[in-house]
Amino acid sequence: MRIFPWINIQFWLVWPTVVLALCFALHGQQRVNSGVQVLYRFQSENNGVLDLAQVGRPLHLKIEGRANVHKRNGAIEFLGKSMVRSPGRSLKIHLASTWTNELTVEAWIEPSNATQNGPARVVSFSRDGSQRNFTLGQDGNRYDFRLRTTTTSDNGIPSVSTPVNTARPDLTHVVYTRDQAGIARVFLNGRKVVEENVTGDFSNWDPNFRLVIGNEHSGDRVWLGKIYLVAIYNRSLHPPEIRQNFIAGKNPRVVQEIDAQQKENQFTQQIAPLLTRHCLECHDSINRKGELDMTTLAGLLSGGESGTALVAGNPQESLIWTSVDSGEMPHQRPPLDLVEKKALRDWIAAGAQWPIKKIDPAIFLRARKVDNRLVRRLTVDEYISAVQVAVGRDIGSEAKKLFPEDLRTDGFNNTAYNLGVDLKHVQAYARLAELITDKLSIAELRSNYLTEEDFNEASLEKLIRKMGKWILRGPLNEAEVQSFLRIGETLRSAGGSFDEATRFILEAMLQSPRFIYLIERHRGDGTTWPIGPFELANRISFILWGSPPDAELFDLAASGELLEKGVLQREVERMLADHRVRKRSKQFIHQWLNLDRLTNLRPNAEKFPKWNNRLADDMRRETLLFFEEVVWNQQRPIAELFDSPFTFLNRRLAEHYRIEGVEGLPREELIKVRLQPQSRRSGILTQGSVLTAGGDEASMVSRGLFVLHDVLRGIVKDPPPCVDTTPVATRSGLTQRAIALERIGNANCGGCHRKFEPLAFGLEKFDGLGRFHDQDEHGNSLREDGQILFPGDSAAIKFRTSNELMKLLADRSRARETVAWKLTQFSLGRPLGSADAEVLETIIDAANKNGFTYQAILKAIIQSELVQTIRTEPYPNELKK
Amino acid sequence: MKNKRMNRRTVLKGAGATAIGLPLLEEMFLTPALGCHSSDGGVPVRAFNVFFGLGIPAPLQSEGFAGVLEPLEPLRKKLLIMRDVDQVRCDESGINAHFDGASGAFTAQPPNGDAKSGGPSIDQVIRRNHYVNGLPKGVVPTLVAGTFFRRSRISRYVHSYNPDGTVAARMQEQPRDVFDRVFGALSLSGGDKDLREKRLRRSVLDSVVDQYQFYTGNQSPLGARSKARVADHLDRIREFEQRAFSLERGNQGGPGLPPRSALAHGGQADPAGQGIDMPLEALRKEWRLMADLYALAIELDRVRFGSLTFLAAGERLRITGDYFYKGEKRFQFDDARQLKASGDKGCSHEWWHQFHPKKKNLALRAHAHMKMQEVAYFLNRLDKTREANGRTILENSLITVSTESGDGRHSNVKRELSGVFHAISGANGRFKTGEIMDVKREGIDVYNTMLSAMGVQARLGDSDREFLSVDSIRS
Repeated sequence: MRIFPWINIQFWLVWPTVVLALCFALHGQQRVNSGVQVLYRFQSENNGVLDLAQVGRPLHLKIEGRANVHKRNGAIEFLGKSMVRSPGRSLKIHLASTWTNELTVEAWIEPSNATQNGPARVVSFSRDGSQRNFTLGQDGNRYDFRLRTTTTSDNGIPSVSTPVNTARPDLTHVVYTRDQAGIARVFLNGRKVVEENVTGDFSNWDPNFRLVIGNEHSGDRVWLGKIYLVAIYNRSLHPPEIRQNFIAGKNPRVVQEIDAQQKENQFTQQIAPLLTRHCLECHDSINRKGELDMTTLAGLLSGGESGTALVAGNPQESLIWTSVDSGEMPHQRPPLDLVEKKALRDWIAAGAQWPIKKIDPAIFLRARKVDNRLVRRLTVDEYISAVQVAVGRDIGSEAKKLFPEDLRTDGFNNTAYNLGVDLKHVQAYARLAELITDKLSIAELRSNYLTEEDFNEASLEKLIRKMGKWILRGPLNEAEVQSFLRIGETLRSAGGSFDEATRFILEAMLQSPRFIYLIERHRGDGTTWPIGPFELANRISFILWGSPPDAELFDLAASGELLEKGVLQREVERMLADHRVRKRSKQFIHQWLNLDRLTNLRPNAEKFPKWNNRLADDMRRETLLFFEEVVWNQQRPIAELFDSPFTFLNRRLAEHYRIEGVEGLPREELIKVRLQPQSRRSGILTQGSVLTAGGDEASMVSRGLFVLHDVLRGIVKDPPPCVDTTPVATRSGLTQRAIALERIGNANCGGCHRKFEPLAFGLEKFDGLGRFHDQDEHGNSLREDGQILFPGDSAAIKFRTSNELMKLLADRSRARETVAWKLTQFSLGRPLGSADAEVLETIIDAANKNGFTYQAILKAIIQSELVQTIRTEPYPNELKK
Repeated sequence: MKNKRMNRRTVLKGAGATAIGLPLLEEMFLTPALGCHSSDGGVPVRAFNVFFGLGIPAPLQSEGFAGVLEPLEPLRKKLLIMRDVDQVRCDESGINAHFDGASGAFTAQPPNGDAKSGGPSIDQVIRRNHYVNGLPKGVVPTLVAGTFFRRSRISRYVHSYNPDGTVAARMQEQPRDVFDRVFGALSLSGGDKDLREKRLRRSVLDSVVDQYQFYTGNQSPLGARSKARVADHLDRIREFEQRAFSLERGNQGGPGLPPRSALAHGGQADPAGQGIDMPLEALRKEWRLMADLYALAIELDRVRFGSLTFLAAGERLRITGDYFYKGEKRFQFDDARQLKASGDKGCSHEWWHQFHPKKKNLALRAHAHMKMQEVAYFLNRLDKTREANGRTILENSLITVSTESGDGRHSNVKRELSGVFHAISGANGRFKTGEIMDVKREGIDVYNTMLSAMGVQARLGDSDREFLSVDSIRS
């Protein structure tokens, strides 16, 4: 409070929980928001200048020397000695720009004259008159820009100046940009007026400097004139973006709205898990004890037998609070602890924000925290692809021999937390680096990056920067450049050649963490930041292709254009048309359905004497071909994976399945076959690859749990204690269904078993290896009718045949939504937590609007904040603040 | 099968013309645990978790050494057997009872994912406390090994975990893997290098180390957990560096690799959860070679922390063969035939499901007895070598034997899998030995007491949980 006493104290109390979102528009033209770190306008009359950028912790400024400053007509006018500056260091700008080594400083200004100099400071990120990270100033009739890099002085000298007579006492849009390649440009009123090289990077920036406008911190570099807008970006805006901001003008229309993100987070992170743990066992949509369904806001508002359960804003009128407060609820269960009680009461008092449609216990029962910042090692497949993209060589067979296998965890083998490294990995990376360079013509490789043949320090550094940028999927920092240069120095001192140096440097790059991991910026101020262009390029490329960006995507990242929504959409369309996306999608279904299981299938030889491994391979190929046909060749809605009247068969598999009327099939090749209703087959659940999940006995439990967990995203609790879970064998007069019905009828077991065993009833006529039969081995007649209870529903739906069951799965939203969840998990390489649920809803909505195809899901994932942003981790010293 | 203890030279005997060899064997024999870094009485701090699958139902534990614990009887003076240790804190709804229970062993926490525990295992907490700057050169930071087959979830068989719940080291599941991991020397390109090339290649590795240091240092853009992950990678690089350069010596006439495993591994070992046929002799042969190598690694001071698994949680094997103890035939294993079933229903696992305190449970007893005999084999192996303080490695180390806590709940005979079982060694006089104790306390308190006795400040579980010391187990 002491920092900004001139602003109403209530505002500062509210500020941490309410983010002001400002959208600018003029004649329909939006300002560029991507990469903006701070944004200042000067509309209000008070002594504060608010940072409106919506990125990270806001960096507000304070006016000093108020008597010499006027704020009017949307501008701040400096009439004499004064300044506007940040009360503390400007770490946000420092962190953002030192990561990207790019910068844009933009200002709408109107100088009082064309003679002030010093340079007179318009915007400065500095300590005093001789130490700065950057400064935009006016030096007579020129604008002057100083930038500290590893090749300029602490004072940012040499500076970049505009031509003479370009600084005039007129309204001017001034923009300075500097990109990673070291190109600095200044634009005046949307037109470039100067371009120079400012090499080096920002690693020597001082994090303790402060931002100041209209003067230097020392107070002796006064600038006089009006300023309408100041914005600083952590990337180099490209010319169309600068024109866009120029067209948007000095006074873009402002729309202010309250963002309720904080409240929404409170609901998904605290309230929904709390209600799930303590209330939904009895008050879910199935049990509805007391006629109360607490899974929806509507259910709470309408209440149950005791009346309205929730009155937003009034805990004392809300039964869900008063019954908890009095200890009446949860009934015969442990009470809420004090923290939970406070959260519940506060949530109701604050208006009972309910940002999701319905509480899904599958999401919130175990609300575990999921770290979205854990660096992910490339899987073996991704490593092989990365080598292919980096140097154009296939190292697949060697890599698969040398690397330990990546194990499937939480359903997929790219789960970051389980992708650790063993000594064997390190040995493999080193050995493979040698093998890869052995396969290359080093001189030819170098010619891709360098025309010079002289082996000297300058050419070596040039090679390292260019080659490293491509191999390591983004620009190198200075520490990396120096590290690689040392290899070259060793080579030169050992009388080595340029080829040798290139080879060994490449070997080092192939073992770099930048090659082996997906390295991203995690450090920030603890808030959510948009990711940079190279990070975005890598994310979408690994999501879509399982491999690094190609040249086109990489160039768009380098130019920054990728951050434009339209460009990103076009690029995703292009990538979806590329063959690599098919290969990646097959990895997805392979892992989702655990098709590796087929390789190890060893059914009882007495019971299944005709089984052989070729059938397992046929089943796997059937599912993959079917998936490719639905998803890629026909691009049908993803729901048709569960219900499509065709599959792929060869003679062997058709005979095994006992499908009639498909004579003349090839012996080995699987071809598309239309299925008749009497085959009872339709979709992946009726294919051998999935049906074998039930084991030799075609267990209703195993199959039902598979459908519940992997298709319907449902949950059940563990079997209760003291229950004999030994599988019961079928016999004459006792079918799997009869055994299941007995369990469902059991008081101890039925509560859970009725949620999943009936899901397998429609598959009863398929035996453990997926063969169709009307009678089991004991001569018992089998059925295929049943009823399905979708998670969250209160009433089961009857079906007469397996075909009807498949149609239900395809028609209802749950199964296709589960695919979206699974695909999101696969895309992110981590399990999803309850905090992700809200974003998943937006992904599902977006996919729904576009036909809910596989492609639509992927596009929605890529556009979601799960891919576009990162929740930063504060530096330790930020935590202390 | 002869239960002959393998001599270290026998284990390692044979010419090795491959890239893997035994470096400096004689040097290693001169610098084993016998005279190494010491923080207490001339011996290093060590902690190992020994896991066996399926547990021992509480009524059988109550029979003491007269029952299935008989094979531990010769070691009774060197062990504290703890019954009625309550893993109540693992009592959360999970994915699978065996999986949940196995995750609770050595961590006292429910799992947090297929391959994640809810917290660190005791060995890793001790490691981080006693070796803040890492283990001495040449010591493998953590060795995780085991003979097991069921692998649907990693927590079934890995029993050493980092503070963030991720596995502390990759599982080495064949004797040859353990050999490679601990004793193998590395060659950078499979051939001899001249000095110049070595120097150049060294500069490559220096550059790689530089980069990993950057991403673990103050300027790193990575968050804390990611930095820890990259730091772990850097540790492996340093090991590699040492093996590839410092220890690169010829191996002429030296020992070679253990024989290839004759058993199924990888996905073939767990065909769709249906179980595999397993002759007892083959199982014991592989396990004992594994146990020998692991014990040898400890004796030679190449390993101080880690875990060793004998059969996974919920293991599914159809075991066959005559079971002998001290030359006396105790049982004839033939699970499938005796259970009159095939596939998963014909596996020894089912004896546990069929356990009833009022029945004889003969098959279960024989299986549990056999497991104790194999656990005892490893412990005996550690009891053969005396260290500077006159005690054996078994006596000086903290060896914690445990198992899956069944359904992850209380030790209650009415419950299907009530097999929580613990035995610990004395850890150089820190714990009582020579007793069978009914502890009647929560597992987390027992583990935290163990940490306290080991001089470790850190505690398992929630930081705001009151530490309730179980003083009865301390000496």
